[in-house]
Amino acid sequence: MTVGAPRAGKPLRIDRLRKTYATRAGGEVEALGPITLDVAPSEFVVVVGPTGCGKSTLLQILAGFLEPTSGRVLADGTPITGPSIDRSMVFQSYALFPWLSVVENVEFGLRGQAHSRKECRELAMHQLRLVGLHSFADASIDELSGGMKQRVAIARAFAVDPSILLMDEPFGALDALTRRLLQRELLRIWEEQRRTVVFITHSVTEALFLGDRILVMSSRPGHIRAEWKVDVERPRDVTSDALRDLERQIYAILDEELGRSFEQGVGNRG
Amino acid sequence: MTRPHRRRILSAAAKRSLPFLIAAIVIVVVWQLVVTLTHPDPSVLPTPWATAIAFVGLVRNGQLGVDALYSVARVVSAWLLSAIVAIPLGLLMGSSLRLERIVNPFVELLRPISPLAWIPMAILWFGIGEGGKVFVVFVGTFFPILLSTVAGVKAVDPVLLNAGRVFGCTSRLALFRRVVVPASLPSVVVGLRVAFGTGWAAIIAAELVAAHTGLGYLIANGMDILRADLVLVGMAAIGLLGFLFDAFFRALQRQFGGSS
Repeated sequence: MTVGAPRAGKPLRIDRLRKTYATRAGGEVEALGPITLDVAPSEFVVVVGPTGCGKSTLLQILAGFLEPTSGRVLADGTPITGPSIDRSMVFQSYALFPWLSVVENVEFGLRGQAHSRKECRELAMHQLRLVGLHSFADASIDELSGGMKQRVAIARAFAVDPSILLMDEPFGALDALTRRLLQRELLRIWEEQRRTVVFITHSVTEALFLGDRILVMSSRPGHIRAEWKVDVERPRDVTSDALRDLERQIYAILDEELGRSFEQGVGNRG
Repeated sequence: MTRPHRRRILSAAAKRSLPFLIAAIVIVVVWQLVVTLTHPDPSVLPTPWATAIAFVGLVRNGQLGVDALYSVARVVSAWLLSAIVAIPLGLLMGSSLRLERIVNPFVELLRPISPLAWIPMAILWFGIGEGGKVFVVFVGTFFPILLSTVAGVKAVDPVLLNAGRVFGCTSRLALFRRVVVPASLPSVVVGLRVAFGTGWAAIIAAELVAAHTGLGYLIANGMDILRADLVLVGMAAIGLLGFLFDAFFRALQRQFGGSS
C-alpha cells in the first residue's frame, strides 16, 4: 500500500516565551520562561527537567491548549493559536477513547481529514502494523495493557501525518522493560516517518537514548539551563563511555536544580 | 458458539441467580411460618400456596397480563418522554456553565417534591386519564436522568477533550459530538436505569389512587374487596417485573462499559 510521499517535519520556534499564573491571593507566579528555542525540521528534541519545572506547561503551550503570557511560538513560521492536527500528541495517560475499538481510535484523527472510509481504515491498519498491533484492530481499549495502549496512541499520533509530534512523558507510566521496548519502537517508526519531535521526560536515560538534542530545564520558573547535541549513532548504547559522561553532566545540573526547587518549596506540578 | 462455551455461560448465569433463588425461598418459608404460627384470617394474610393459586388464576384469565401491560406501557412511555427531554438538556447543561447556573435552581427546588406529591395535582389537571399518570412518572424519572447526564458530561476526562481537540475536533460542536456525548454515555445509562426504578415505584402509587387498570389498581382493588391474595399477587408481579427490568438495565450497563 502507498502512504503518501515521506514528509519532513517542520521547524518550531519559541521566542522569549513566558507563562505566569494568577494566584488566589491576587499575585502572580512565574511558571515558565523566558525560553527561546529553535527546533530544526525533523529534529528529535528531548526536554528533561525536575518535577514542577514547567516542562508540561511548555508542551501544553506548544500543543495550543494554553496561551503564553508573553512571547511567541511559531510552528513552521505561523503563530500557534490552538490545537492542530499538524501538531499531534502522545499523552502520558494514553488518552484513548474507550468507546472506540483500537483501529477506530487510530482512525479518529483521519476522519476529519479528506479521506474515504476505506482510506482511513488502510492508513490506520498501516500504522497499527508498524506498532505490531494489527491483530488487535478490533479489540476494545479496556483489553489492552498499558504498553499496548501507548502503542495505539503512537499509531494514532503518526496516522494523521503530522509535521510535529509532541510527546508528554509518554512512557512515564510504563514499567522499565516495556519502556525500553517502546523507546526502540518509537525510534524505528521515527526513522521511517521523520517528524519534528518534542519529547518531555524526567528520565535521563530515556533522553540519552532518544534525543538528537537534550535540553535540561531549570527549576521553576523553568528555562533552559543547558543543552547538548548528541552525535551518537542510533541504536545507542547508553552504557557507553561517551553517554555515561554526558549522563553525569546532566545529573549534576539536575541535582543542583532539584536542590534549588527543594529550598523554594515548589510543589509537585509537572 | 461452541457447546462447552455455552454451558459455561449458562452455569455462570445459574451461579449468579442462585442467591436470588435462595432469598425467594426464605421469604416464602418465613411467610408460611407466620401463617402457621398466627393463623391469620385469609382476607388478611393467605398462605403462599393460596396466593400461588390466585396468581395462576389471574394469569389464566388474562387480568394480570393486562394490568401488567398497562403499568409497563405507562412507565415506558413516560420514561422515554423523560429521556427525550432530559438527556439533551443534561448534555447541554453539562457543557455550559451558564445554562447550568440558570436551570439548576429550578431543578434543586422541584426535585425534593416527590413524584407522589404530584399525584393530586395530576388528578386535578388531567383527571384519571392516562395523561396524569404519564405526568407523575415523567416527574419521577426526569431528575435522575437529567442529573446523571449532567454528572456524566462534567466527569469527562479533560485529557480526552484535549485529545479530541488535537485530533481534528476543531469546533465545539465536533468535540461535543465525537467526544463529550460518547464519553458520558455510561453515566446516561446509569441515569436511565435509576429513573426506571423510580418510575416503576411512581406508577404503582399513581395507579393506587387514580386508575381502573394497572398493577397498582389491582392491589388497591384487592384491598377494597378484602382479597389479600389479589394484593399479594399484584405485589409479587410488581417485584418480579421491577427485578427483571433492573436486570435488563444492568446488562445494558455492562454493554456500555461502566468502567470508563
